[in-house]
Amino acid sequence: MISLIRNENLKIYKRTRTWVMMGIAILYVALQIFNINSAGEGVVRDNWQVQLEQDNRQLSKVANQLDALPIEIIQAEKQILLNQYHLDHNMPPSVSGWAFTIDQLRNIVFASSLIAIIIAGEIMAGEFAAGTIKLLLTRSASRTQIYCSKYIASLVFALFLTTICVAVAMVLGGVFFGFAGLTSSHLYVQDQTVMGIPVLQALWSGYILQLPFLLVVVTLAFMISAAFRSITFSIVISMLIAVAGFVISIAMDGWDWTRYFIFSQTDWTPFVYGNPSVEDVSMLWAVALLLLHVVILHSISYFSFVKRDVKQ
Amino acid sequence: MPLLEVVGLTKKIGSKALVEDVTFSMEKGEILGLLGPNGAGKTTTIRMIVGLMSRTAGQAQINGLDTLKMFKEAMRHVGVIVENPDLYKYLSGYDNLLHFARMTPGVSKTRIQEVIELVGLTDRISDKVAAYSLGMRQRLGLAVVLVHQPSLLVLDEPTNGLDPSGIRELRNHLRHLAHQNGVGVLVSSHLMSEMEMMCDRVVVLQKGRLVGTHMLGDISGHERSLIGFEVDRTDLAMQLLQTLMKGADITTEQNVVQIMIDKSQIPEISRKLMDAGVNVYGVSAAKKTLEDTFLEMTGGKEH
Repeated sequence: MISLIRNENLKIYKRTRTWVMMGIAILYVALQIFNINSAGEGVVRDNWQVQLEQDNRQLSKVANQLDALPIEIIQAEKQILLNQYHLDHNMPPSVSGWAFTIDQLRNIVFASSLIAIIIAGEIMAGEFAAGTIKLLLTRSASRTQIYCSKYIASLVFALFLTTICVAVAMVLGGVFFGFAGLTSSHLYVQDQTVMGIPVLQALWSGYILQLPFLLVVVTLAFMISAAFRSITFSIVISMLIAVAGFVISIAMDGWDWTRYFIFSQTDWTPFVYGNPSVEDVSMLWAVALLLLHVVILHSISYFSFVKRDVKQ
Repeated sequence: MPLLEVVGLTKKIGSKALVEDVTFSMEKGEILGLLGPNGAGKTTTIRMIVGLMSRTAGQAQINGLDTLKMFKEAMRHVGVIVENPDLYKYLSGYDNLLHFARMTPGVSKTRIQEVIELVGLTDRISDKVAAYSLGMRQRLGLAVVLVHQPSLLVLDEPTNGLDPSGIRELRNHLRHLAHQNGVGVLVSSHLMSEMEMMCDRVVVLQKGRLVGTHMLGDISGHERSLIGFEVDRTDLAMQLLQTLMKGADITTEQNVVQIMIDKSQIPEISRKLMDAGVNVYGVSAAKKTLEDTFLEMTGGKEH
């Protein structure tokens, strides 16, 4: 089994294509930095107190509008609390590579998911397209082993890519916004109270709590790849679903039906540091929903792969 | 215990039988050909044996191990090339070899070097397969299926797309492996002349059914065959032969006189012809070709 995974890794990392795509993901991180830098948000201004007070007035106006959505009110209230905390403690909002990375974790995981889709979407369908599946399946390895080794290799690649992107974000972010503030606290609002955790903890736990999105998307691409044997089909469909899911989860944040919508339940940070957008959704629910999706996807692709007649 | 034993192998899709009740077996060191026109079920039979396709009924055992129940164990000593050896084009020849060597436990690096030398790819092994010619790919394909020292090689239409020298090279490799190393080779093809040169025995399939087996060996001394004498005086030769072999059917065609006799009679007859002043320039035996046998077995309808 170990040697089968090593084989899959050989096929992933010995391709120039893989490294070009990794470059694209890193470029995305760099673009985010450029974006923030050119908007002038990367530095602490002298008049930051005035700015925050202004923001708070604006936010309470939004929250008091008659047609304000409940989620808008909740988010505005949270931001007001945070801003007030900074004002009360005479502590400017932290600007550093660390704060930038924590802020961008969700986007980084999203971007690397899109690249991971390409690898996971190709890993099985590519063998059928190239005809190499015949050599692969007539060796002393069961189809279940081949299936698992490919799935594990896809996940490992996705994790590897995300980790690299996070590391690049910290390094590049540090270069542009400074490496200071590693010992300070990362602030968040839970039950109308401002709380703080060490920045390092916010980094690694935030990273882990975003990974369910990666898992769903990679499993989806892998499922289509193994069940339908078409590279184009699996990559295009998975990308569409990932992008649509990501956008819908942001646009429809807080709507009651999103408790059943997997992409609204793949960011687990609010369960630990904050409050979920749909109030009564628990982390257990999110875990169960994730498992349900992964199990359903695998039950489609596993059985069709193991039983298939290879005619390529 | 036979190396490969196939019993009652059947594949049905709906009510249509692609392969029906195919039974045969083969021994170590034997090259067995699976012969039949396109659509006879050769590829389906081979794919069922090696587990690429499911079967409706029947069994296949390799070294006594069922390829369905004990797939991993049964396939451990089998090398399979179905149609073209499709390899990873973006990897080097060596990485391809390493990839498949790893799939069988206990294949050493020295063994990898050994097969590289065996197929003569030492100079180009670190090049990407995309840069290989078809002949080189075929050789690398052979290295890939030989690297784990299989006792059974299964090749489906291996000569497709190969040029004559490539075919001859493959044939020599296979004959060497079978007759020197005792590897059993199961090979399918629709090219009869190829099979005739390559195989020790052929199994003929038609419309999914096994219609016969045929040993390919040297024509023995006592088999009667059509012998042609190339002479300068056909008229004289005709006369002489008619008196020598009364009632025999003698035909002439340009300078060749043909007669059905035992091979053992050739020296005597040619001496008599010379004595009578007829110069003999050549003697040829028209062998009964595999094609004739094939047409006999299949009733000649398919070709």
